[in-house]
Amino acid sequence: MSVDQIVFTAAGAVCIAGAVTAVAHRDARTAGVALAGTLLALAVLYAGLAAPAVAGAVIVVALFSTLPFVVHLTVPASRSNATDGPRVTGAALVLGAAVLALLAVAIVFGEVPVNVSVRSADAYDLAALGDLLAGRAAVAAGGSLVVLLAALVAARAARRGRSLWR
Amino acid sequence: MTTAAYLALGAVLFAVGAVGAVVRASAVGRLVGVELMVAAATLTFAAAGVGFRELDGQIAALVAIVVAAAQAVVGYALVSGIRRPE
Repeated sequence: MSVDQIVFTAAGAVCIAGAVTAVAHRDARTAGVALAGTLLALAVLYAGLAAPAVAGAVIVVALFSTLPFVVHLTVPASRSNATDGPRVTGAALVLGAAVLALLAVAIVFGEVPVNVSVRSADAYDLAALGDLLAGRAAVAAGGSLVVLLAALVAARAARRGRSLWR
Repeated sequence: MTTAAYLALGAVLFAVGAVGAVVRASAVGRLVGVELMVAAATLTFAAAGVGFRELDGQIAALVAIVVAAAQAVVGYALVSGIRRPE
């Protein structure tokens, strides 16, 4: 068993165990810590995929977005907090199922090379990634940053109890 | 490891998140489920990008991560507001 396989097996096991714990545990604190562990295990998997920039982004999101909010939210939380209105969840499920079905069809028709080894002997080309972000993917990158900034402003307004539309 | 292993792991992770998003009654549980689904999609993007030997998958993964962070910020702020009415 190679080092790659050991790392993938260990990180994958931590990832799935953390995900199951995050979903199944009723204590929100435990669920939050399990979610953070899942994200950090995912960062290890990205590093194994020779994608350290993505791994770094996941670590930043886990440590500076997900974990602080979960801790802030769950430390004084009660155990029962039911809400109704699962429309967003339903939309996410429909979109996700459609994407999964598309991926399965692409694999069946041989459009996705599933037997390619992900171990890369090449050096990681961060400059090419930056060029792509500033070039062809500039609109997507800029749009996602605008969405993030809008979310931060909206969250701040929501925390203060003000409406954004007045 | 091959791309198939990463795609399979992404599918399992997505299924776990989907089950959590459907089954859990609490808002935090639903948010965690959606967060797991986005993380699984990101892993699939990155793995497919490596499989195709293209950087586009990593770009898509980075964009998905930023959008997931925005979703987490708004979601947790809303849930926090629901939990502590003034």
